[in-house]
This record gives sequence, structure tokens and C-alpha cells, in this order.
Amino acid sequence: MTHKHKDGGHVLHVGTLARVEGEGAMHIEYRDGEVADVQLRIYEPPRFYEAFLRGRSYTEPPDITARICGICPVAYQMSSCWAIEDACGVAVTPEIQALRRLLYCGEWIESHALHVYLLHAPDFLGYDGAVEMAADHPAVVERGLRLKKAGNRLMEVVGGRSVHPVNVRIGGFYRFPSREELRGIRPDLERALEDSLETVRLVAGFEFPDFEQPYEYLALRPETGYPIESGSVVTTSGASFDVRDFATRIEEVHVAHSNALHSRLDGGVRGPYSVGPLARYTLNADRLCPIAREAATAAGLGATCRNPFRSIIVRAVELVEACHEALRIIDGWTGDGDASVPVPARAGEGYGASEAPRGVLFHRYVLDGSGIIQDAQIVPPTSQNQPSVEADLRSMVGAWADLDEHALQHRCEHAIRNYDPCISCATHFLDLTVERT
Amino acid sequence: MTGPAGTGTRGPLVVGLGSPDRGDDAVGRAVARSVALLLPGVVVVDHEDPTSLLDLWDGHDPVVVVDAVRSGSPAGTLHRVETGAGGAPVSPGAWARTGHGGTHAVGLSEMVELGRALGRLPARLVVVGIEAECFDHGVPLTPRVAEAVPEAAARVCLEVGTALQEGAGDVPR
Repeated sequence: MTHKHKDGGHVLHVGTLARVEGEGAMHIEYRDGEVADVQLRIYEPPRFYEAFLRGRSYTEPPDITARICGICPVAYQMSSCWAIEDACGVAVTPEIQALRRLLYCGEWIESHALHVYLLHAPDFLGYDGAVEMAADHPAVVERGLRLKKAGNRLMEVVGGRSVHPVNVRIGGFYRFPSREELRGIRPDLERALEDSLETVRLVAGFEFPDFEQPYEYLALRPETGYPIESGSVVTTSGASFDVRDFATRIEEVHVAHSNALHSRLDGGVRGPYSVGPLARYTLNADRLCPIAREAATAAGLGATCRNPFRSIIVRAVELVEACHEALRIIDGWTGDGDASVPVPARAGEGYGASEAPRGVLFHRYVLDGSGIIQDAQIVPPTSQNQPSVEADLRSMVGAWADLDEHALQHRCEHAIRNYDPCISCATHFLDLTVERT
Repeated sequence: MTGPAGTGTRGPLVVGLGSPDRGDDAVGRAVARSVALLLPGVVVVDHEDPTSLLDLWDGHDPVVVVDAVRSGSPAGTLHRVETGAGGAPVSPGAWARTGHGGTHAVGLSEMVELGRALGRLPARLVVVGIEAECFDHGVPLTPRVAEAVPEAAARVCLEVGTALQEGAGDVPR
């Protein structure tokens, strides 16, 4: 819808942005075909939670912060557990870490399947949404739902519930699943692995705009394996630092147009940085399991991927990785040992990070001697990616000046969805406005 | 795929949809809890993720989904949309009266129409929406929405009862 401006320009209101998790607003302003301003405004619930956590017990963050997001609760649980355990000087057993990784695989499968099939694929196949796509490609949509269901099942068996797992606690889990329980979901995951490989083949055939960005990528890198539940921090500029240093390396700054904080790495001297599948893949492709690496190569991915639109391919490859990894952990699971380790309270500061499906999620807590939280900091991936999303749009909208309004809306939404922004962690709608003068 | 009305083998289902921690978004769950007390023989579940609906309602008939909606009506206003397998898609105008049938990223309206496209819609599906006012984190239902819960629960019971009288499904004993 176009509204005349008093100064002769006009504002294009392109409505609610669909298929993005959450609520926010995008404002694009350009003059004479040149982009003058791009602003992403999102409501940032972690700020509410940071305040809410102060004065609570150190045992509560996994349950409380899981409520920030219905799509990535495990990420919030894992990052908060690592941070509290770090503050208390406790390390968990290899079995507990393996089960955390397994639970996290469930979240990756669920979240990536939802995004690839119901949210992002319609952009590439030319449909307004999954409903329209389902009419022509029912088997494709059914495959996506089947994959998501496999992730849900894994979350239920390990976490006790598919949306907000209830089996996670500081120090580990309330109970370990039995070997039989985990073996019971193996057939679903074997099918999911096949579906994931089919997903890579599907999305590799999509057409991608010729668009690359030089952003610095930041991801975790564990001692072994692909980064999921833990690791230290690495970047494409060669930086490498412990999670404990994130608070000094990553600065959160207020921007006037958003409730959210924007994140800057090392003072922003190298421009925006980006987290998520492209960063994980670029910094850890050598850590993929052979079957995922083979699928990536067959899909045309090289050593790095700098086209945000191709993030859908990386998500599909990560589906393969998560399914394969889940099967590997299940096959080695004995169910022996204690489900948790004691975590006695002590005064201190602790840091934790894990790879949410959409990128690194940092937590920091300061505890007093009785375990009461004095300070909490949560740096979610979406706020880290906000500057990159804005920079992408700033680059692209100029080149799309010839598009009609409907096509422009679609392209903008598509570009935002490349980052799978989890504003839901925020709330409900993203209104997109384009101002032209 | 669910067959014609009355062939759902798992009986009626009531789903309360929404997040328990997002203010009025929890109203669907609150209504579902009331319905569970009023209709002990009926399967009543609450859930946060609309994308699970196709699996949740598989084999059930009739199905009533209760959700918070946002359409601009006064808070607490009840909305109703009826559809089902074999019917025409719900018009955008009808969904608009329910604020598109939900407040979730992949919304109830999308999942209903996705179910129709995939042949996975119950024979009879009724959406009862309660106009919401506030979706803030960690706050309770707003007063006008909370006051609407008993009426909404009664409406859901009526929907289930009417469908049963018409022969769509049996209450498992």
C-alpha cells in the first residue's frame, strides 16, 4: 500500500512480515534509488529476563530462560547450565555432556525442519507460504513435518517434553533415559537421516541470487565434532577466545530505533559480524561427519559460504549432521552413571555458550555466596545478527529498485528469513515499511 | 487421513493452544483446563506449538481448538470458526475476525489450511478464539480475558456436545 508523503515522496507499507518467529518492525527508507536508512526494530525479551533473574536462585535459570523461546528452549537451558556451572567451578561428566548434545540435536532437527520447509522453502519455490506450497508439493511438506516430528520425539524422550523440556537441571538431568528408551526412537531418526539427505538434494536445486557478503563470522568450535552444545569461540578474522572472554570481546550497544541491543565484536572495527549456520559451517566444515560433508559437497558448498540465501543449504546439511550425531550418541548410550553432578553454590561469575539453531547464545551470571543471582546477561543470536540483516537489506534494496511493491516485499522478507530470526523470543508480528522519496 | 464426520476413531479432542508465560496467550490453556474438569471423558490437551496440530488431532473427531486471538475486538470477545475435511478453505475474511486464528509464528490458520491441503483435517473442526489484550512475558491473564474463561469453556463443551449429538465421534468410556 502506498501513501503519499507531504514532501512528495511516498511510504510503501508492505504489511506484516510472515514466517518469521516473532514480532518486530522493519523500516527501509531510500531516496533517488539509493538506500538512505534501514532499521530493524525488535522487542528484546532477554532484557526482561535479565532483570527477572536478579534475586532468583542459581538453580532457576534453565527453567526460566527456556521460556524465552518456544523454538530454541534447549539453547537457553544449555547456555545457562554451562554458565552457572562455570560460576560454581563444576564440570559435568562425559555422559551428561553427551546427553546434552543429544537433546540439542532434537532442537536442531525440530527448528531447522520448521524453518527449511514451512518458512523458507516457499520463498524459493515461489509460494506465499507453506499452505500454497503443500497444494503442489504435498510430499515435500509431509517430509518436513515428519522431520520436525522426529526432532520433537527426541526432545520428548530426552527432555521429557517437546516444547519446553523439563528434564534439565543445573549439573545435568533429573533422570537419564534408559538405553531402551533411546533405542526406541532410532527408527524415527534413521528415517529422519534419509529425509535430511533428501532435504539437501531438494534445496541444492533452488535458485539463489548472486549475492555475497564479507562479514566476519563467529561460531563455537569444540575440541572435537561439529559445534552444537559447547565450544570456545573462533572467528573468520582469526580471533580465538574462551567463552569467558565474550563479555569483553562482544559489546552490546543501544541503537535509537530498537529496543534490542546490537552486538559489536571488538568494537565493530571489522564491521558487522554474523552467527548461525553460515558461520558454523565456514568455521567448522572440517568437523562435519563424512555423510554430511559428502552431502555438502554434492550440494555445491565449498570451504566457506558467504551467500546468506544459501543458508538453507547449510541448514539442510546441519539436519544431516544432527540426525547422524543423534544416532551415534544413542548407539553409544548405556544409561549408566549419575544423571547429575552436585553443584554447590559459591560466589563467582560464570560464562556459558552454545549454538542455538540460529547462532551462538551467550549467558553470563554473577552469584553471591548463597547462589542468589546478582547479575545476568543474555546475548541471543538474533541481536548479534541484526546489524548483518540491516546491512544485507541496505545492499539489496538498492539493486531491487525496479521491482514492483509485491516483489520487493517478498525479497525483503526472504532476506530477513535467511537469518531465521527468532524474534519470537519476542512476540508476534513484524511490520515492514519502505519509505521512498 | 480422517474420513467423513463420525468416523474419527479416537473420539472428540479439545486443544488449548498458547504459551503459559505470555500473558493472555495462555487463555487457550486456561479454557482447556476448565473443559477437562467439565468433560472428564474427553481428551483435552494443551500445547504451545501449532505445527504439532496435525499429529495431535489425527484420528479425532470432532476437534475444538481454543486459542488467543487478536482482531481488534474488545478483550474477552469470543470468536468462532467452523471448518473440516471436505469443506472449502476458510475465507481470509473469516480468519481475519479471529486475528488469523492465533498469535503464533506458524499460526493456527496456516496449520488448518495446511491440514486441508494435505488431507489431514478432522471431519469437524471448530476454533474458539478469545480476544486477547496483552502478551507480555510473565504476566497473568488480563481481567477481561480471565473473566471470559468460563463462558469460553461452556462454549467448547457445547461445541463438543452438539457434535456428539449429531453423531460425530463418541466419548471413550
